[in-house]
Amino acid sequence: MNRLRIYRFLMGTLGIALLVFGAAMVVSFFLYQRPNSVPGIPTGPVGHYFVAFTGCALLGWSGGLLGAARDPMGSRTVGTMTVFVLGLMAFVRMVAWFIGDYTAWLGDLPLTEATILLLLAVALVWLRPTVAETVAGPIADKMVEKATKTGGTA
Amino acid sequence: MILRSLATLVLFGLLGLNWMLPTLEVSARGSDAQIRTDFDAKLAIGNRLPPLELVGLDGQIYSREDLEGHRVLLTFERSVDW
Repeated sequence: MNRLRIYRFLMGTLGIALLVFGAAMVVSFFLYQRPNSVPGIPTGPVGHYFVAFTGCALLGWSGGLLGAARDPMGSRTVGTMTVFVLGLMAFVRMVAWFIGDYTAWLGDLPLTEATILLLLAVALVWLRPTVAETVAGPIADKMVEKATKTGGTA
Repeated sequence: MILRSLATLVLFGLLGLNWMLPTLEVSARGSDAQIRTDFDAKLAIGNRLPPLELVGLDGQIYSREDLEGHRVLLTFERSVDW
């Protein structure tokens, strides 16, 4: 069960982090609309349009992650998609570093971020519940419930 | 189990590529010092502008010869508005 506990902790932490990032992006969009405002995120009007969209998407993703942290068995596919997206995010960072357009702004940070994202993805691959656990989950829950009621073993 | 192993293999492949990227010849970049050397050698004050053809905002092509005899300020910007 320690494995699931770590999985829930990772999903919960990631969910809270994305909740904060998503909210910050949406807030940044609205703050940018003030007259003579200095953008909190270094981009223009078009960029802020996409920042707001990304912020909303992150809020949705964070909801899924927090749901998976609360009920990992019932939200197993959230872990699967999160692994895929983390890998994709890492690949995008590698390409961004490779083409060099972002070097003056970020230096080698994209590569460091890609490493962290990929390690997190590997961790989630091995920590998330298996199909067998997901199927057995409700049955095991019923057995525990029954044992609790009867005061004996299930 | 097979899918987990496959996913791990792909992720570790990406990790390996990520760690190898800075060492690959194809991703090597010139140093600041090198760029300054090239810049000074080709575009030092008093040197003749190298032959060039630039597309203006009006869509017309301007060559070095078109610019001769005029005071010209050339600015270079990113073409992508990000």
